[in-house]
Amino acid sequence: MSVTTTPNGYQLDTSGKRVVIDPVTRIEGHMRCEVNIDENNVIRNAVSSGTIWRGLEVILKGRDPRDAWAFVERICGVCTGCHALTSVRAVEDALGIRIPPNAHLIREMMAKTLQVHDHVVHFYHLHALDWVNPVTAIKADPKATSALQQMVSPAHPLSSPGYFRDIQTRIRRFIESGQLGPFKNGYWDNPAYKLSPEADLMAVAHYLEALDMQKEFVKLHAVFGGKNPHPNYLVGGVPCAINMDGDGSAGAPLNMERLQFVKSRIDEMVAFNRNVYVPDVIAIASFYKKQLWGGGFGALNVMDYGAYPKVNYDKSTNQVPGGVILDGNWDEVYPIDPRDPEQVQEFVTHSWYTYPDESKGLHPWDGITDPDYKLGPKAKGTSTNIEELDESAKYSWIKAPRWRGHAVEVGPLSRYTLAYAQGVEYVQEQTNRALAAFNQLAGTELDVKTALNTTIGRTLARALESEYCADMMVDDWNQLMSNIKNGDSTTANMEKWDPETWPKEAKGVGITAAPRGGLGHWIRIKDGRIENYQCVVPSTWNGSPRDPEGNIGAFEASLINTPVERPDEPVEILRSLHSFDPCLACSTHVMSEDGVELANVKVR
Amino acid sequence: MSQSKMHSEPAVYVYEAPVRIWHWINALAITVLCVTGYFIGVPLPTMPGEANDHFLMGYIRFAHFASGYILAVGFLFRLYWVFAGNHHARQLFLPPFFTREFWKGVLHELRWYAFIEKEPHKYVGHNPLAVMAMHIVMVWGLLFMIITGFALYGEGIGMGSWQYEWFSGWVIELFGQSQDVHTWHRLCTWLVICFVIMHVYLAIREDIVSRQSMISTMISGWRMFRDDSKAKDDADHGGSIMTTFVGSLMSSFRSGRSRTKADDIR
Amino acid sequence: MTETFYEVMRRQGITRRSFLKYCSLTAAALGLGPSFAPKIAHAMETKPRIPVLWLHGMECTCCSESFIRSAHPLAKDVILSMVSLDYDDTLMAAAGHQAEAIITETIEKYDGNYILAVEGNPSYNQEGMSCIIAGKPFHEQLTHVAKHCKIIISWGSCASYGCVQAASPNPTGATPVHKVIHDKPIIKVPGCPPIAEVMTAVIAYMVTFERLPELDRQGRPKMFYSQRIHDKCYRRPHFDAGQFVESWDDEAARKGYCLYKVGCKGPTTYNACSTIRWNEGTSFPIQAGHGCIGCSEDGFWDKGSWYARLTDIKQFGIESNADKVGGTAAAVVGAATAAHMAATAINRASKKENSV
Repeated sequence: MSVTTTPNGYQLDTSGKRVVIDPVTRIEGHMRCEVNIDENNVIRNAVSSGTIWRGLEVILKGRDPRDAWAFVERICGVCTGCHALTSVRAVEDALGIRIPPNAHLIREMMAKTLQVHDHVVHFYHLHALDWVNPVTAIKADPKATSALQQMVSPAHPLSSPGYFRDIQTRIRRFIESGQLGPFKNGYWDNPAYKLSPEADLMAVAHYLEALDMQKEFVKLHAVFGGKNPHPNYLVGGVPCAINMDGDGSAGAPLNMERLQFVKSRIDEMVAFNRNVYVPDVIAIASFYKKQLWGGGFGALNVMDYGAYPKVNYDKSTNQVPGGVILDGNWDEVYPIDPRDPEQVQEFVTHSWYTYPDESKGLHPWDGITDPDYKLGPKAKGTSTNIEELDESAKYSWIKAPRWRGHAVEVGPLSRYTLAYAQGVEYVQEQTNRALAAFNQLAGTELDVKTALNTTIGRTLARALESEYCADMMVDDWNQLMSNIKNGDSTTANMEKWDPETWPKEAKGVGITAAPRGGLGHWIRIKDGRIENYQCVVPSTWNGSPRDPEGNIGAFEASLINTPVERPDEPVEILRSLHSFDPCLACSTHVMSEDGVELANVKVR
Repeated sequence: MSQSKMHSEPAVYVYEAPVRIWHWINALAITVLCVTGYFIGVPLPTMPGEANDHFLMGYIRFAHFASGYILAVGFLFRLYWVFAGNHHARQLFLPPFFTREFWKGVLHELRWYAFIEKEPHKYVGHNPLAVMAMHIVMVWGLLFMIITGFALYGEGIGMGSWQYEWFSGWVIELFGQSQDVHTWHRLCTWLVICFVIMHVYLAIREDIVSRQSMISTMISGWRMFRDDSKAKDDADHGGSIMTTFVGSLMSSFRSGRSRTKADDIR
Repeated sequence: MTETFYEVMRRQGITRRSFLKYCSLTAAALGLGPSFAPKIAHAMETKPRIPVLWLHGMECTCCSESFIRSAHPLAKDVILSMVSLDYDDTLMAAAGHQAEAIITETIEKYDGNYILAVEGNPSYNQEGMSCIIAGKPFHEQLTHVAKHCKIIISWGSCASYGCVQAASPNPTGATPVHKVIHDKPIIKVPGCPPIAEVMTAVIAYMVTFERLPELDRQGRPKMFYSQRIHDKCYRRPHFDAGQFVESWDDEAARKGYCLYKVGCKGPTTYNACSTIRWNEGTSFPIQAGHGCIGCSEDGFWDKGSWYARLTDIKQFGIESNADKVGGTAAAVVGAATAAHMAATAINRASKKENSV
């Protein structure tokens, strides 16, 4: 039978034409996507597969927990730092280390800078080409582009006709060279692109502006962490000591100059979000008002652990509250506890790993991973030349995490759904304002839930979160200055630095709002060394394959029932997948406690 | 020692002046190198005040490098003396590893240290066990330390310097990276320290217990014996092909410069 | 260095007429009018920007992320004006078949004349399928593209040395590029990631001078990797003075003393962090208070803690380093010596008694 219905309510029909996209580009890592498209060019079945696995948790086994942050940081260089932060939090949680308030504020600023940077780079450099056609930009009228710019964002200074003409000339010369570089073999004559030439030119200009600005944002990481990508972290606090007045303050990691430098970068982030990023997303979205699909779990089945406490270690002060919403019921938010063995579990029935009993899921503290690369009987091709995957068997390097058995989506849209549903004023006001602007431009009257539960909604929530993070950073910076003014310059708690002070056995969990969603690291420490380390990352939730019950994951759900203009040109598929900002290196490194044997694993 | 039994003590001139000078300079250099080297890896507690008031690490490193140079120059000179010196000067560098006699001697010496043998053999030069230990540590060990040491030193002097070109480049590549060179350099230091402990102890012990002089020999050059039985001159056996070859080459070159005290007196 | 596109096509026996037809087809494919065809033809008759195929194996994309942070030249200028970045999964518009078609096309048109930039490394365990591109193991793509390239740039420590996935026990069999490709010049630009301006400067050097930068024995450009971070560190005077940070956030940390005793790997790490610095010269790890972790060195993951000066020696147990191994040996030798001394004394005393 070619039509099945999943327990989470999706009708899958595998009878249509199978289209394979491998590699899925403009993501972090490696991913493959296969869809079945029916005679009306509508996607009726979707299969997403993580195609890279690096085995980092095995490598961590037996190492010093204080070193772990650098290893797991290298899980991903795009969301750089968020794994390191989660790792030091997990170790501190296990060992009962409390970091000083200044260290918390500095870490918060680094985490939020990452959010802004990652969201901006994602939208302009990974996602925009799904919406924007740079080739039509050369047909635009620079004057009209200037008028458009001033209409959507009057405060942005780069808006003169001359500015747009210069950009246009540069793009024209580039295209005339016949060497299209990254734009080569794009889908530029596909009718799925809906922007006016002027909007295209404005977006291309901002593609380049964003490329220039993103490198400014991350300088905040360079000040606090020494470099970016991959800034440095420290168990027990932050390594950047503060010295305002004392001897040697000029050579200190943080002094008044450094902190003012940071403030300037924060101001830039605030301005760019307000004047460019958010208005761009709203303006571009308004051209796609009829393409309101790609919601999937969207604003309906969402999860986040909660983030950004005003007071560290006090969840009630979270500026983005966590929880779980199921089946679109915003009135009921379930609490989430990462320590509860019944809540977060990972399944491997459709992943290239094996469990003794694959019908059951395992909590990360007790996770097992034993790689088991094999294709299903219905797969086409050979094991080293896959033509088509068999989704009824194992088909991905990603495990399938579930919350109490439910497949959920994580990410900025999930956080915004949870924050909106739980009445966070800033989020409600900001979302309503953005939606009003969209409705005005597009001439629609969408309500919040309908608008958010789309590919566009996912992209918009990311932009709004970026703006929120920049604004929160201003508070963090002010708080840090106020602490220092009041005489507190402490940045690290070294009471339990020495492994002699540690318990013989300990386990902990670290939680972070990573750019792509809720991130958790689970650690077990024994005799001062890592005994087991597990990461359950956002793209594992979103990119998860089917579970034993047959529930599909968020990527797959978002593609179902999406119409495509041309089946062999995956613009719409890329658009929805990219709206999650997939991070495959993150999602597919997950490894286990008995992983040492992995080097000798026999692959059937 | 029994005072009642009178005997003559024949003496042999073993260690020529250059060898003795080398020995004591080496001893001093190795002591300085070990101490300073230790503190380069594990520095002393922090100095207070302004950086330009102090140069502690600088001095420690200077002492290390200066001693290193002395050790290296001494080693080169000693290599020359292998050819220019008497046959005892060769013993350390070209041990007769391929003769049965040598290994029997090693075994006997081990049994002597284990209190199984009542009497040690008498040797003009080093006993076979000492030859082996010294050959490993003082020839190959020192060579290793000098090469890795210059490789590490060359890193600071920089690419383009002869130290870097002759040593750092290939050594670092061989080991994988600089940190591995550091690690092995430090491990080998501990080997040298272990050797020094045993060497000093055994020299004193043999001086007291065995049938020949030890410490005074390294000062005066003369080996004294406490009885008349024939002393083995291991270097004379020249068992290995290499030893035979170099030995014959050198003896023709030097035409018997080995002397006895009797010769001297005449 | 490179032939023009037109010259290549003529050499392959394509007539001018077909060439012009190709140009108008290209214009049409882009949705542009026929007036663009002559312009494209003109561009193709002049010297092209050198094509770059940037492949991604097992990596974390930090090299690409670093690359786009370059301030001089700006990343956009490199992409728009210096080279032709024809394939890069992270940035390219095309996906799937259209992306893979670019590789075939580039090999046909620029055989032996394009740069292969590799970020990450191939896997050889799990049938090579722990890194899959287009349904096949990444190492197939790598060797295929390498066979026809002019030179290879190994971006970052993954491609240069193996980096984190190759850390013990290397579950995926991650292997650096130079151990897979032996017949092409390889420039290693190590670091996790390399400094943005170092990456773009290596490209700028090759484009400007039309030759490879001078390389050291390990294949790294001498201009950036000939000195240790320690050699040009602004905290070096504190090292020479013997002034060290002993514990995080202590008085010395606030004064910016040397981080040697808290494990800084600056003295054994060849990179330009202390001179060029990071993020347009904003800072570098030591300036921000954390020691160098040695990320541009071979196998830096397996040399012990970031916070210890001495390397871990696993063969002697998990907590071992040279001082622990050597110190133990020296203590054993010392104890044995003392025991032997005592035994000798007793032995002699008993002998004396016998002789009396």
